[in-house]
Amino acid sequence: MIEAKAVNFAYNRGQPVINDVTCKIEDGEFVALLGHNGSGKTTLSRLFMALVHPRSGQVFVDGDNIENLEPADLAHQVGYVFQNPDLQILEDNVFSEVAYGPICKKLPKDAVKEQVIAALEAMGLENLADAYPRTLSFGQKRRLGVAAALALNPRTLILDEITNGQDEQEKDNMMAYLEKLNKEKGITIILITHDMNIARKYARRAIVLNNGDLVFDGRTQDLYNGERDLNEWGLSQPVLAVLSAAMGLSAYSVEEFCQQLFPKEGDER
Amino acid sequence: MNETAIKFKNFHYGYINSDSILHDINLDIRKGSFTVISGPSGAGKTTLCKAMVGIIPYYYGGRYAGEVEVLGAPTKGKRVSDLSMRIGLMLDDYESQLVSITAGEEIAFGLLNHGFAPEEVELRTKQALLDVGLPGRENYQLDELSGGQRQRLLLASILAVRPEILVLDEPVSAMDPEGAQGLYKLLYKIYKEYNMTVVVVEHNINFLLSYATDMIVMNKGCVAAQGSFEQAAAMTYTIPELRRNLPELWQIKLHLEKRFGVSLGDWRKKEDAIKELKEKFVGGALG
Repeated sequence: MIEAKAVNFAYNRGQPVINDVTCKIEDGEFVALLGHNGSGKTTLSRLFMALVHPRSGQVFVDGDNIENLEPADLAHQVGYVFQNPDLQILEDNVFSEVAYGPICKKLPKDAVKEQVIAALEAMGLENLADAYPRTLSFGQKRRLGVAAALALNPRTLILDEITNGQDEQEKDNMMAYLEKLNKEKGITIILITHDMNIARKYARRAIVLNNGDLVFDGRTQDLYNGERDLNEWGLSQPVLAVLSAAMGLSAYSVEEFCQQLFPKEGDER
Repeated sequence: MNETAIKFKNFHYGYINSDSILHDINLDIRKGSFTVISGPSGAGKTTLCKAMVGIIPYYYGGRYAGEVEVLGAPTKGKRVSDLSMRIGLMLDDYESQLVSITAGEEIAFGLLNHGFAPEEVELRTKQALLDVGLPGRENYQLDELSGGQRQRLLLASILAVRPEILVLDEPVSAMDPEGAQGLYKLLYKIYKEYNMTVVVVEHNINFLLSYATDMIVMNKGCVAAQGSFEQAAAMTYTIPELRRNLPELWQIKLHLEKRFGVSLGDWRKKEDAIKELKEKFVGGALG
């Protein structure tokens, strides 16, 4: 469980980035953290993992105030996957890369091996354990980043724009792995994304930040009802949501949408 | 008039110590078109862009065969700096293309290297900043500009040379939807104003649906579809593994056309689709 209570934050005495944000994310949730560039979503996620600390207010992880903690202290509770997977790669093969965190935590060798294998299997990388990380495809590198975070058995994963720059197939693969982690292992997922389709399809709850203010916290389906104007927050309704609302349907894929439509009488040829 | 801006003839390419990336590419990009290049990751889109501006094979080496022509002249034997007078490239990692301290110096850098006189450099710098919505920012330091502004500055530095063709490789990959729409709107304005040929690599064709005249879809190093946007979209739809690269509006349009044997309009906006769907279709239970 992660909780922010009246959190305010600014970098280097500059403009406020997070303004009086209060929210609580329970174990096992799948949350989309949304907002325009510069809205404060990455900063809020950094506050959740003690990478930065509030100017005022408190952040609690599993009920403990984290004001005096460092990210390493929380690594087994909150895992963070960066937007650019290349920034996270440190080792010469996939196995060592994933083992890096558990080794730093001084886990026994057997436990390291066990956790690395489990993390690689969870992200479908078990056959690439000996590969040189930089030769992996972009999508595989992204999954490697998630596996490295998973190897510390965190209960929450924060993923920063991890579907950016991926094609539809790669996005589907990544999201299928994350959905499985959430449903089968109960790992809390906090997904920072600009991809409205992904947020609508996978996240059950959405938190929207606009210029550092929390402006929406509720069910994703209420945000993407196809009618609410999201432009003022720098967001847009997914095309399928708008078309579904216009036609009085509920569809999460092109196939679902088309299956629910029929030509008006006399129009079928 | 259907002049060709960029032509690939039986072009093959592989980087040093790597498998072949592009296989037998035959392409015609029309002069004056706004062409979007799409396709799955690893399809060879970026390599194709680099071959258009001559940095492949001249900087990268590797193995190649066939020919690339820009505005009727083969790129073979041409210096990249000479080609850049006619064709400009903006890479997805735009920060790596910025080299100066101030915005004015950034734009002047390219112009001075091309041998323009100082008075001309000043005029063109001013105009280029105006074109990208950064008027009067000549003396701004680069770190005083936001990421989006730096990206527009790079666009200005390419435009200042006044190339006839502009190639952009995933220019909005790190932007939010609002920023992406803003950059493409600006790009379209420049395209119309200067009668340019624009080539954009973009995963999310939704952003370009209102602007694209032509489309090329790449898959596994080959051209899977090319032609007018409508033709290339229809062709792409027949290839199941590529279908999802099309904008959702067009996936719906082509799906309904196939399923019910109807002919639907050239949907470029959600409103076009909603109007026609409401006229011709009714929602019902799952069928």
